[in-house]
Amino acid sequence: MCDLCMKHGAGGKWYLNAEHYSNEIVERYNLRDFLMEQYKNFEQMSVRKIHGFNAVGMGYKLRIPLVGRIIRHTAEKMLHSTNPPTNPFKAEGHIGQVIPLEDAIAILETCAAEPIIEKNCMCRYMSRGIKDACCINFGVMSEIVDKLPRFIPEKDKYFLTRKQAVERFREHNRKGYIGTIWFGPYPYINNLCSCANPECAGLRPRLDYGIKSIFKAEYIVHHHEEDCTGCGACVKFCQFGAIELDAMRKKITINMDKCFGCGLCRHACKQNAIHLHPRDETPGHEKDY
Amino acid sequence: MKETIKGKTKITIDYKKCGDGVGVDPRECCACLRQCKPAVFLLHQTMGAVEENPLDPKRWRVTALWLDLCTRCMKCVESCPSGAVTVTGR
Repeated sequence: MCDLCMKHGAGGKWYLNAEHYSNEIVERYNLRDFLMEQYKNFEQMSVRKIHGFNAVGMGYKLRIPLVGRIIRHTAEKMLHSTNPPTNPFKAEGHIGQVIPLEDAIAILETCAAEPIIEKNCMCRYMSRGIKDACCINFGVMSEIVDKLPRFIPEKDKYFLTRKQAVERFREHNRKGYIGTIWFGPYPYINNLCSCANPECAGLRPRLDYGIKSIFKAEYIVHHHEEDCTGCGACVKFCQFGAIELDAMRKKITINMDKCFGCGLCRHACKQNAIHLHPRDETPGHEKDY
Repeated sequence: MKETIKGKTKITIDYKKCGDGVGVDPRECCACLRQCKPAVFLLHQTMGAVEENPLDPKRWRVTALWLDLCTRCMKCVESCPSGAVTVTGR
C-alpha cells in the first residue's frame, strides 16, 4: 500500500474510497469556483511563475547546485500538499497514480459520481495541439467542462453512462494509453485519464526530472518465462521503457524498477504470459511507489 | 552523467510572426508542436488572459518549455510556415 492508501484508503486503495468522489468535499472547500478558474486558464499553469520560478527550461534549473534542490523540494511539496486549496493557478495537491484496467472499471462502476463526461485531453491539446477525447471526468468537474468549449469533444454525445464510460476506457487502454487517476485538488478525485508518455504533463516531471508527480501502481508485472515466445509485441506497448527483448534467448526481460504497473503489456501478449501482482507482495518493491 | 549548466539550448519564437493574434492562429497551425518528438513546446494563453477573455485568439501563443529535452533535430524550424522559430546555443 502506498502512503496515500495508508492515509485515505479506509483500509483499501485510496481511489476506491467513495468518500473522495462526493459532492460534500466540493461544498466544503468551495471547489466549484476554484476548478472553474483553474481550468479556464489550465494551459498557462506551466509558464506562470511560482515563488519566482516557472517550468521553462526546468532541466537546466534543476541542475543548478543547491537552487535546483530547493526547486525540486518546493515542487514536490506543492504537488503533495494536503492543505485546503487556495491558489487556482498552482497545481496544489494534484497528485495521481497509475492504475490498471480492472481498478479503473471498479472506479467507474462503483465510486465515480454522476454525471460522467468524456472530454478532450488538455495535455495533448497543449503539447500537441491535438483534440483527443480520452479523459473521463466525474461529478462537479463535468459541469465545469461543459462550460469550456475547447474541452468538449466534437461528437454530439459526451455525457456517458457508467457502462459507456467503461467501454470507452477499455478502448483507450487497449490502444496503449496509460490509465491514471488524479486528486485535483486534494481531497477531491475528478479525473480518470488515459495518458501517453511525452505529452502528459503529469508523467513528465516524474519520468524526465524525477519529481514525484505520479505514483507507480499498486501492482507490478510478473511474467512466465516458459510461455514467452519472444515475439516482442509487448516491448512497444511499454511507455516507460521497462521491457527489453533478448533476441538471442528469444525471451523478454522486465526492468522491475522502471515498471509502473499499468498493465498495458498484457493486451499485447497473445500467450498470456504477463500478469499483474500486488506490489507490496513483491520482494524488493514493497515501498517502491 | 553530470552535465554542466553551460551549453543550454535556446529556442526563441518570434511573436511578431506567430501568436498574439498576428498571422496564423497558433491553435490552428501547431506545426512545431506536432513535429517535435519529445514535445518540447507548449500552447498556452498569455498572462493577461486571466482577467480578460481566455479564449481570445490574440491571447494564445507557443512557448518552448522543456528546453533541456530538445534533441536539436530542427524539425520545428523547417516546419514553421512563418519562420518564427529559431534554435540556438550549445
